[in-house]
Amino acid sequence: MRFLTFSPFVRLGAIALWVLSACAVPAPLPQQPAQPPAGEAPAAPASEEVVLRWRTRPDNKEEADVYASISDEVSKRIGVKLIYEPGGSETASYQDVLKTELASGTAPDVFWIPGTDIADFVERGLLLDLRPFAAKTPGYSDDNFYPEPMFHLTYNPATGKTGEVLWGLPRDVSTFVLYLNLDLINEAGAPDPRELAKAGKWDWAAFEEVARKVNALGGDIKGYGMNAWWGPYGAFMNAAGGGFFNKERNACNLTSKESLEGLAFLKKLYDEGLAVPYGEDSEPPFRAGKVGMFQNGRWATPGISTVTFNWDVVELPKGPSGHMGNWLFWGAYVVNKNTKHPELAWKLVDALTQPEIQAKVAARGTNIPSRRGEAVFEEFLKILPEKNNQAFLNGLADQPTAEGPLWTGSWPDFDRAMGAVVSDLLTGKITLEEFAKIACDEPSKAFNR
Amino acid sequence: MRLNRRLFLLSDLGPNRVLASLALWHGVQGALLIALGVGGLVSRTQLLSLVHGIALAGALVVGFLSVVASIGIARRSHIGRAASLVVHYLLFIAALIGLASALDLFKGLDVLADYAAEGVPFLMAFVFMVGYALRTIELSERPVPRWRRRIGSAVMLVGGVGVALSLGLVTALLDWVAKLLQSPSALVWLALAVISVFLLRVMWRDPVAAWLGARRTHGEQLVGWLFLSPNLLGFLFFFAGPLLFSLYVSFTNWDAFNRRDWVGLENYARAFGLVVQPLRVPDQPASEALDVRTYSELMRVHLPGQSFLIGARDRLFWISLGNTLLFSALAVPLSVVPALFLAVLLNMRLPGMRLYRTLYFIPSVAAVVGVALIWQWMYNSQVGWINYFITEGINFINALLGTDIPDPQIRWLADSSYALLSVVIMSAWQWIGFNTVLFLAGLQTIPRELYEAATVDGANPRQQFFHITLPLLAPTTFYVLVTASIQALQVFDQVFIISNGTGGPGTSTLTMTLNLYQNGFQSFRQGYASALAWILFVVIFLFTLFQFRRQRKASSAYES
Repeated sequence: MRFLTFSPFVRLGAIALWVLSACAVPAPLPQQPAQPPAGEAPAAPASEEVVLRWRTRPDNKEEADVYASISDEVSKRIGVKLIYEPGGSETASYQDVLKTELASGTAPDVFWIPGTDIADFVERGLLLDLRPFAAKTPGYSDDNFYPEPMFHLTYNPATGKTGEVLWGLPRDVSTFVLYLNLDLINEAGAPDPRELAKAGKWDWAAFEEVARKVNALGGDIKGYGMNAWWGPYGAFMNAAGGGFFNKERNACNLTSKESLEGLAFLKKLYDEGLAVPYGEDSEPPFRAGKVGMFQNGRWATPGISTVTFNWDVVELPKGPSGHMGNWLFWGAYVVNKNTKHPELAWKLVDALTQPEIQAKVAARGTNIPSRRGEAVFEEFLKILPEKNNQAFLNGLADQPTAEGPLWTGSWPDFDRAMGAVVSDLLTGKITLEEFAKIACDEPSKAFNR
Repeated sequence: MRLNRRLFLLSDLGPNRVLASLALWHGVQGALLIALGVGGLVSRTQLLSLVHGIALAGALVVGFLSVVASIGIARRSHIGRAASLVVHYLLFIAALIGLASALDLFKGLDVLADYAAEGVPFLMAFVFMVGYALRTIELSERPVPRWRRRIGSAVMLVGGVGVALSLGLVTALLDWVAKLLQSPSALVWLALAVISVFLLRVMWRDPVAAWLGARRTHGEQLVGWLFLSPNLLGFLFFFAGPLLFSLYVSFTNWDAFNRRDWVGLENYARAFGLVVQPLRVPDQPASEALDVRTYSELMRVHLPGQSFLIGARDRLFWISLGNTLLFSALAVPLSVVPALFLAVLLNMRLPGMRLYRTLYFIPSVAAVVGVALIWQWMYNSQVGWINYFITEGINFINALLGTDIPDPQIRWLADSSYALLSVVIMSAWQWIGFNTVLFLAGLQTIPRELYEAATVDGANPRQQFFHITLPLLAPTTFYVLVTASIQALQVFDQVFIISNGTGGPGTSTLTMTLNLYQNGFQSFRQGYASALAWILFVVIFLFTLFQFRRQRKASSAYES
């Protein structure tokens, strides 16, 4: 039994064996590629060694599960083992983590990024130009997607021309609507915004009237609510004919007459207490039944569909420009420039943006497919929660301003500086006149890089 | 002994030949490593990554040590032997890491963790643990009996073999050998590891030690350093290395991807850059008084007859500095003073005190993110619990007294006047528990006889607190103050969650660490962010130094 007393050498040997066996433990075998649907060319046999990692920023676990199931399906279709990584959490900003991983060489092969970040990623040389692969793909055309995102996704900063390169493909699009608490609106005796919209009378004056009447219910009830980021207040600036940038997108436009008009309207709502205080998250009070109209995108629908009161959506009211000033929000699947398998990564991007895959994501109700066409619209209109889904499409049809990167400056810097000064305005720290004098001082520095 | 001599054939060559060979080996090795390090540093047009930087710096250091070893061995000095042992030890460690990396060992360990966590391997691991428990756990005051140790060993052996077999040890080893043979880099690393071990063995041998004049104490010193080396290497690679790297980066405009120019003190000049301009009229626009492309308005100073505008190259640096100091000035007393009184209460011998101690400590061990999210909801001005209680309280008072006190409806997180205060309250709430435990530990070291004597002398509880408790608690108080101040000056998580990473509303919750994060990981100005980190380090260092000086003065005054 002496051998059982384990000398240090035996122990070290046992540990070494463990370590050696660890380095050779086989990874799970990749799934066998399924037979392609009839009529489609079979996927090229891929090496067993090829593994692609891809990432999106799902809003919740259910959405992450949808992407995971899509990953399995696409994996069979293109014959490559795929590892889906849901990104983002309360403590880790999705883009910050992604860029850090890109800097350290541990980023996934394919990932989703918001439209505003395309320029930042391109100019840092982090994205692969997919044009050569797209050119060889039968049936591929830039025109299958909305032109606004494709303008930025095909923009070549070296030549200043669009259409030359391809940085990625849009995953989905979205627009703002107003989520309505119909019970509160009825109780307040306010006109139904949906009826006003149908009658073509849904403008800022009508919007303010509804907000006032709901607010008059008293207590902690508010007529309107939005969250504190560039989208909501930007929509009001757009609706007044203004915007963040000049036409060439190379200078700050926050102090133009039109932009100020949009902000002045919004400021009035806050100053008169008609809105949930700027900076507060408006979704909890809306879901608690204390806000009449809540401005948000399609991504909020799954959460809001669980409320107990009667709710629906209506398009944004039209502003002085005659348009609702909506945004066309979008994000794109792009490919890591350092991927070892660029062609397979392109296949993955292409597969992820096929109509049937987009329909699966859209079925969650969080977004609108990024492909154009009546057929896509029809599919979208069938999607739960079977409310006034047309309101989202109306937003797309009314000359929306595409969320876009800043090719001549730093969007993160511009956003940060603009956010601070707009926050000062809408929380009453500065007046509109003071805002007009200083609003562009800091954001303009974002163009100096 | 004969066996050892056979193994050590080099000794038969005689000291001159062996030492000459070793000196030559080290000379060539040193020259190669220095050439590699210098060449790598000079030829790189890009700023080095941390890993490359450490590798090249390591090559230079080991190369230099190798040259020292070569000269030392040639002169028959024990310093040459010590340097040689250190060089080969470091090369052996580097070779093992390189081998593990070339064979994907680190990835393999991840896979192993997944496999071993379930099924038969997990069961076998459990058997192994049962064996360990049988072998070691003492059920009485007597040592573990021999029979139980033997059975325990046997069970451990069965469990260990079971784990290895269920994980496919034999296949795995064959795969490992195949991988090794297919990977030239792995073979190079393996060869380096074997050579290093061989030369370590050669240099450690008594004859070589004697030829180089090494005494027994020299060997003992080296063994001491060997035991210290895991910690020392960890400190150098994972703490000192990155620290020095960040200092280096702070003198560049590195963006972590492409840009990498040496900019000297520019980052520091940018942070501290201020300009003071007299104003024609107090409300003269900043754009008329400053070059707004470079400077931003920081503040206006109104003196009798003349107003001045202070502009900053980076106003956010000054704002974040001010916010951080204000946060610390509020959060430290709020988390220390109540903790002291709480500790005094919890130190009383009353029933249920253990439960209370646990309850007060819970916030300290709760995750900051969870705590911040819960407080974010509680602070919601419309549906949050805090405003709900304030409203109910005011309604109750108004109904009771017939008054008409208005409901303030405080916008805790949306009003820049309250936002930082909200973070202070939340942080203080979270830190109180930990400080209380420290004070409690300090209180329990104060001899009870002192209180008994004071009671006999007629001192009341207040006098006892101020004349016995507080002075004798001074070392603990000092420690709590220093750690709480450092914690407050580095506040990040709370403001990041509460403000959704913006430092808003406006810039009211922008602290130095959040500003550093925004620069480093959102705008990717790593160079500037590193400079901000070093400035924060200096601020904390000066603050701590100031507290040390005050403590020393207070102690000497008390002792005198």
